[in-house]
Amino acid sequence: MAERRTIVIDPVTRIEGHSKITLHLDEQGQVEEARFHVTQFRGFEKFCEGRPFSEMPSLMARICGICPVSHLIASAKACDELLAVKIPPTAEKLRRIFGLAQVVQSHALSLFHLSSPDLLLGMDADPAKSNLFGVLERDPALARDGIALRKFGQQIIERLGGKRIHPAWVVPGGVSNPLSQEDRDAILQTIPEALAIAVRSLSWLKGTMECFRGEIASFGNFPSLFMGTVKEDGGLTFYDGKLRVVDSTGQMVADKLDPKRYFNFLGEKVESWSYLKSAYYKPKGFPAGIYRVGPLARLNVSDRCGTPRADQELAEFHELQRSAVLSSFHYHQARLIEILYCVERLEQLLNDPEILFKHVRAVAKPNAMEGIGAAEAPRGTLFHHYKIDEHGLIRWANLIIATGQNNLAMNRSVLQVAQRYVHGDKITHGMLNRVEAVIRAYDPCLSCSTHAVGQMALQIQLVSGDGTLLDEVKRS
Amino acid sequence: MNPRCGIADRVLVIAYGNPLRSDDGIAWQAVEEIRRKLPFLTIVCVHQLTPELSKDASGADTIIFIDAMSSGEPGKVQCQTVSADCTRVDLSHNLAPAQVLAFCKQLYEVEPRAFLISIGGKCFDHGERLSVAAENALPRVTAMVNELLNQIEIHAAK
Repeated sequence: MAERRTIVIDPVTRIEGHSKITLHLDEQGQVEEARFHVTQFRGFEKFCEGRPFSEMPSLMARICGICPVSHLIASAKACDELLAVKIPPTAEKLRRIFGLAQVVQSHALSLFHLSSPDLLLGMDADPAKSNLFGVLERDPALARDGIALRKFGQQIIERLGGKRIHPAWVVPGGVSNPLSQEDRDAILQTIPEALAIAVRSLSWLKGTMECFRGEIASFGNFPSLFMGTVKEDGGLTFYDGKLRVVDSTGQMVADKLDPKRYFNFLGEKVESWSYLKSAYYKPKGFPAGIYRVGPLARLNVSDRCGTPRADQELAEFHELQRSAVLSSFHYHQARLIEILYCVERLEQLLNDPEILFKHVRAVAKPNAMEGIGAAEAPRGTLFHHYKIDEHGLIRWANLIIATGQNNLAMNRSVLQVAQRYVHGDKITHGMLNRVEAVIRAYDPCLSCSTHAVGQMALQIQLVSGDGTLLDEVKRS
Repeated sequence: MNPRCGIADRVLVIAYGNPLRSDDGIAWQAVEEIRRKLPFLTIVCVHQLTPELSKDASGADTIIFIDAMSSGEPGKVQCQTVSADCTRVDLSHNLAPAQVLAFCKQLYEVEPRAFLISIGGKCFDHGERLSVAAENALPRVTAMVNELLNQIEIHAAK
């Protein structure tokens, strides 16, 4: 008699953090269920209790080595609320620059370092070649562009924050130091090259889409809600604004939602098989309230970018589908459009006459007992929510991270890809890689979302119902 | 002007490790002394080696990597030459010195000569303080960098 089997991919490679995937096969060898398990645990919400609130931005930045700036910004915004201050306009613009630079470097890491081997060499490429060295052998110019773009973002962060990783420059009330003219001019000099790379990379990526018809059709291509922050005029923004939710037809489900009231419309469910919570849109319930955040969602909810080149690309992007753009494979293109937007917006902000003003911090003692900060991180909307006592010590903290908000969608995407590509008793690298690649499209940051140490090996096992190992593939 | 500036302009020191993991951060502390004694050197401090460093490396004639070593005698300072090697890439943001050089060679068509100065560590727990053995090794790291600069000068003079 045929038996049910389980395939385990542990760990998933070329993502930020540690996870595994299990695929459950029915008697006919068809995938009937798939789960994306996050196997690391961080616990930042708990161990920050008792710390002075002023430490929170720096403490929270330690959550992640890729997007510390997003945590700095969301945390500092929550602390601004505790101080009950309006930060100086120049400080707000400098925070925006900081955040945009981080989006560029983080998106560049995702696209060029982690996903470009799949996009350039193909999903069935030899795993030994599916890495950056494989990319630079095939297309050194593309690899150079990826490196230059990431460096562009990192250098801005370093110039403003003093270091590339875990800078502590964003503080409650503003930023700790103003921007010097020397640094401003130096950054401006690097804009043209970054802009050229963004345009060139978009052209390359769009040119490859024809080769990935199957993946576009099956990589998270299903109806869901999309959520992101937009400006008053419906434009793309990363620093502040109101939340907008659209459905799979592109129709607005909710608009001008106050991110500080997130608990009214977002719920989180804990599953026993993962340390990653699953967020859902409360009015639709669980799991019907499945929604996606991040580049694809932001572009689906935004009417415009507000910069000339990115607006052209956004218009073209919206033409991909008459409804919202549903396939998560298009996260890659959305990521590059956002890079283009960020570079253009950086130039605008750096040329703002106020950007060199020296007044960059409002100083106050706590004036409120509760604060909520929200911002768009590279991977999606990020919420930091703190409560303090009369001594300014943290008594409670809640973080809602983009990757958790994409958790339901990632699980459904894994199932969709597995059902299309994984069949029978024999595992091939092409099958395995596609299952991983759909996760990579979301660019999950598991260190962030579970609040890792070790080598990113890969193991996939085909196990019978009685635990017998039927097939195994290892990648080191 | 320091007479060594001409040589030092083309030397890049890359110190790496985690300064919050005790002796793993020894390279960060070593370059503090190097900065004081050899202020003309270009120094980069990073948590780990990433592909982006290849662009910095491509502009140098000589790279001196400085890192802690978890195996071996605590406090022992060793120097070895490093060559480009791209035979193994597990992580795109946690490379070995040989892989940074491989990126440099393949992307920018230059292969600077490179040295790795390794310092034996004793304690890699959470903390910002070095063990006594690692602390005592710091002057020897500076002396070794100085010695490498001497060799570079001699080599350049030939």
